Amino acid sequence: MKSQSTQRNLKSLLLNSEILAVVAILMALTFFLTTRGLPMVLTILVDFAVFAIITMSLNLETGFTGIPQFGRVLAVIAGAFAVGAIPGRLLAALMGLPAGLNYTIDTVQFQVSPELTAALSGSWMLSLLFLFICLVIAALSGAGIGWLTSRPAIRLREAYLGISLLAFGDFLMWVGHNWVPLVGGSTSVFVPDPFRIFGGARFEAVVIAIFLAALLVYAYLNRLTVSPFGRALKMVRDNEVSASAAGKDIVKIRTQSLVIGSMLAAIAGGLYVIYTGTVTAMGYSRLVWTFWPWAFMMLGGIGSTAGMLLGVMVLTIMRTLITVYRFEVFGFLMAWGINPLWLEFTLMGAVIIGVILFLPHGLVPEKVQSILPASRVNSILSKGFGAKLQ
Amino acid sequence: MSNLLATENVTKKFGGLAAVNDVSITVKQHTFTMLIGPNGCGKTTLINCCTGILKPTEGRVLLGDTDITGWPTHKIYEVGFVRTFQIPLPFLGLTVLDNVLGAMRNSGEAPLKAPHRRLWLKEEENNMERAMAVLHRVRLDKHWNKPSHTLGAAQLKMLEVAKGLAAGAKLIALDEPIGGVDPASADEILSHVSALKNEGLTFLVVEHRIDIAAPYADYIYAMDLGRLISQGTPQQVLGDPKVIEVYLGKGATEAC
Ligand SMILES: Nc1ncnc2c1ncn2[C@@H]1O[C@H](COP(=O)(O)OP(=O)(O)O)[C@@H](O)[C@H]1O
Ligand SMILES: [Mg+2]
Repeated sequence: MKSQSTQRNLKSLLLNSEILAVVAILMALTFFLTTRGLPMVLTILVDFAVFAIITMSLNLETGFTGIPQFGRVLAVIAGAFAVGAIPGRLLAALMGLPAGLNYTIDTVQFQVSPELTAALSGSWMLSLLFLFICLVIAALSGAGIGWLTSRPAIRLREAYLGISLLAFGDFLMWVGHNWVPLVGGSTSVFVPDPFRIFGGARFEAVVIAIFLAALLVYAYLNRLTVSPFGRALKMVRDNEVSASAAGKDIVKIRTQSLVIGSMLAAIAGGLYVIYTGTVTAMGYSRLVWTFWPWAFMMLGGIGSTAGMLLGVMVLTIMRTLITVYRFEVFGFLMAWGINPLWLEFTLMGAVIIGVILFLPHGLVPEKVQSILPASRVNSILSKGFGAKLQ
Repeated sequence: MSNLLATENVTKKFGGLAAVNDVSITVKQHTFTMLIGPNGCGKTTLINCCTGILKPTEGRVLLGDTDITGWPTHKIYEVGFVRTFQIPLPFLGLTVLDNVLGAMRNSGEAPLKAPHRRLWLKEEENNMERAMAVLHRVRLDKHWNKPSHTLGAAQLKMLEVAKGLAAGAKLIALDEPIGGVDPASADEILSHVSALKNEGLTFLVVEHRIDIAAPYADYIYAMDLGRLISQGTPQQVLGDPKVIEVYLGKGATEAC
């Protein structure tokens, strides 16, 4: 009996996609660490962290609430543009430097930006304050844009809603590309660097900070969704009519989900531009900031917050493997007229198709379980209902 | 006894078809009021008009003294009027217990409160005790931890009733609660509803199976082709030639 169950446990362990994925991730990270060194691993971690926040925010709206969020890029842009446009200006104005509409013109940028970063790198206090203001501004602009999109979008259904959100996303990118005072139009705007104060350890510091931010968002979303609020989101997702008959205000709940999700995605956008140090409007394509998160989410398992971390990590590693080795390993494709440069984009499409066909619930399928811990339920049940867990 | 629910000349048209045609009914407080009639006569449509799922084309719906015509469904829930659906609409991604808990109120539904478990845990536990008691009544308590998509058709029907009973409303509209349920269980559910009535709740029950349900009713309305054709005590309505004709076909009255 016992050995039989051990055997079954072992088998299910080996077949468990979550555990397989974790093992593969650890192996790949070790491989990168030994062959390419720490910077490569840190790059993977920061990519992972930024996209993890975005994908978890997408999962809140799409996985939990059932909103077809095809415009994730919009909130990311809101955060990125806001951090590119506002905090630097505030600091410049404080220091008596050009901070008006001309702040984003490249000639002004080359003059002002080094002074701003120099000021930051002289003071821990100022750096920390600046970082904090960046995050607050990103969060507010994300929440604002989430609320705005919820107004027209909330009354639409499925396909129409998806298309509207997609259109909103592209709209803001083109505004940024064409209206110079926002983030420099076709040129970039620099973000004063609150991490420069770490000197030679700047890269490590910013990676750790963003990684911690992703973990915080994970913890927050877990607490937010394992609650009566999370249950209400799923009710709206599963059946709107029945949810409203159960007293749920559909419009309010969808709005709340859009506002919180957009706020988190905007924070990710803000962190990303702090990390890269620049904002370029055209960098915010829907391919990278909407469809990739969709691929991450579908692989991770729609509706499962932990699955998001796994999906993002697995695909970030695969993407890195491809970018690092595309010419060494896939160079032969050139002979067939396929440029390996585009392989990572092909990968995401292939992943979406593969997941739909072979892994429809993702690596970590959504668990249907009560919000109350089983122990508490059991202690209440023991008072008289006699139907315990197992 | 005062009126809890009243429809005043409610009409609902779908295109040219008047699915509900000038129907006025009242549901008195602490009664079990029944709505009967053949399939397609407009019973569900009338309930939908009362609970904000549909807007009546004409007429008014009053809950107590409040005009609730055209209110959104969740607002009607707020003022103490809930309904269940003839075709169960479970939340498939939730457990049986959470389906019922979700139909109850918990302040942890506010997103600012939700992350702080201690702010809503006590409420959730109190709700759970009530939810389990209701599930026990409809014989689903043993299945509390199952995903609702694993339930069979009759069990889903019971879950739908449980959601309605648990919501803490003063008026509950049950749309064919015992359709497809075996007679013994059906009797049990109806006697539970009867007991709840004696505790102060009010029920409007749409039912197809008059034989089982009528004995529990205080007052019955009968509809046919969108119109009210009869009303009164069970004896009066079931003895009304117009009702017999609708149920047994033309000529039945003479044959009797
Ligand atoms: N949403 C709708 N659109 C068009 N026709 C409808 C709709 N809902 C119900 N009907 C029609 O209204 C009539 C009454 O239906 P219903 O209220 O469901 O009857 P009952 O519940 O008494 O069986 C039927 O002829 C039905 O086809
Ligand atoms: Mg019906």
